[in-house]
Amino acid sequence: MKKWAEVALGVVTSIGGFLEVGSIATSAQGGAEFGYQLAWVLVLGTTSLAILMEMTGRLAAVSQRSYADLLRERFGYRFFLLPLVAVFVVSLLVVISEIGGVSIALQLATGIDFRWWAIPTALVGWFLLWRGNFTIVEQGTAMLGLVAISFAVGALKLHPVWPTLGRALLPSLPSHDRARYWYLAVSILGASISPYLYLFYSAGALEDEWTIEHLGVNRVTAGMGNVFGGVLAIASLVTAALVFAPRGIKVDRYEQIALVLATPLGRAGLVFFIMTLFVTCFGSTLEIVLAIAYLLAQGLGWNWSENLKPGKDARFATSYTVLILLASLPIAIGMDPLTLTNISMVATAASLPVTVIPLSVLMNDGDLLNTHVNGWPSNLALVVIALLSVVLLVAAIPLQLLGGG
Amino acid sequence: MLQPASARTNRLSLTFAALLTGVGCGAPPPIDKQLETLASWTATMQLAKERHGAGAITITYATQLRDRADEAFQQASTTIGQSAHTRTDSAYAAAALDSLRTAIRQLESEVGS
Repeated sequence: MKKWAEVALGVVTSIGGFLEVGSIATSAQGGAEFGYQLAWVLVLGTTSLAILMEMTGRLAAVSQRSYADLLRERFGYRFFLLPLVAVFVVSLLVVISEIGGVSIALQLATGIDFRWWAIPTALVGWFLLWRGNFTIVEQGTAMLGLVAISFAVGALKLHPVWPTLGRALLPSLPSHDRARYWYLAVSILGASISPYLYLFYSAGALEDEWTIEHLGVNRVTAGMGNVFGGVLAIASLVTAALVFAPRGIKVDRYEQIALVLATPLGRAGLVFFIMTLFVTCFGSTLEIVLAIAYLLAQGLGWNWSENLKPGKDARFATSYTVLILLASLPIAIGMDPLTLTNISMVATAASLPVTVIPLSVLMNDGDLLNTHVNGWPSNLALVVIALLSVVLLVAAIPLQLLGGG
Repeated sequence: MLQPASARTNRLSLTFAALLTGVGCGAPPPIDKQLETLASWTATMQLAKERHGAGAITITYATQLRDRADEAFQQASTTIGQSAHTRTDSAYAAAALDSLRTAIRQLESEVGS
């Protein structure tokens, strides 16, 4: 019974935690400019993330070590610096964008400019991290994040053309503006397969004291949670495709996106949008800041746990304190959150090889995983994701220059 | 309208974004992109007016949309002339600017600001 409660909680957490500033913005931009056509990218991103989460969760549950810990231990400190720096930089960019998302939500609700909300957001987030524990961070914000289901309700109320949407789940080439199409595809993939998601998941498995007995919970949580989360991201794309595309509206500013729910759901839609943006971005801010602090602490061999008092893991607590305050500054001085979101999603996509490729080695290490090493289907999936990550690395910067404007 | 301090941080933000995206080479966007942006904001204003009329959005939110559209208008007003190389381009640019100005005014009269 306890196991099923954990499964339910895990799935709910994944649903609430999937949508965040990157997926909301890039899905809305994709839907506005290309209708349903980019839905297949969300399917690809969600599937890839589910596979990576299942593997990093299994690795942590069986070896009782986090992915970051094993990266340093098995590949050496010099190699570890590469993922450390890459993930640190892109995750910092993403957390700046998330604070921007929270600030925009507060601006939409109050009319007070987003710049004024960045530092208060960081201070409240820091207070929760300092005083709270892992359960509050993981489950509290994710349960509230269920308000994101309003995107699915909005999409259904707009009566999507199901056969056309079904066809869009398979890859297709654009009929116009190819550079922009592929740029948005890379952005959507960056938003879907952020390294912080599986690094946080791996550390979370240890915080929740998972063992081999939790492998079933891990599989269901990673699979079903991401499927439901992916459906919400597709719903976001569908609402934009049905509200913006027919009117020729492109998403240039975050403020425009709220119209996708205000159109099918009226005043309640506007309120749901603001709540979704606020809760999901705030939750992601806490998760990403923790993910970076975990990466530093696990990689450098410090004491770490969100469940310990800050005095017991001072360097870990100092890391998230500095990070969250640092990340609020660019928004406080007025940088455009949507521009930052787009740049950070492309940078995230480009950073994937440094965490995906080493995973293929660790998942076949019998000393770590005994009988739980990857079988050939898992290895095949991982090779495909690794190849995809290399393509993203090569394509990201040229596409940012050609299609990012 | 933006206050001077806001305008300064906005400029800083745009400069940083331009550096990051590698588009800081001084040339304004092509005319078709600028026309597309103006048409997009005109449609946004029309949708906001319609939604406000239906009671779906607040005055606070509608005003923010109006401000962002006004920023797009101001920006296009200063750059679109440089991108319009023919008389036809100039005529399209003037018509697009006029449409957006009208749509902004219509939203303003709808929300009473």
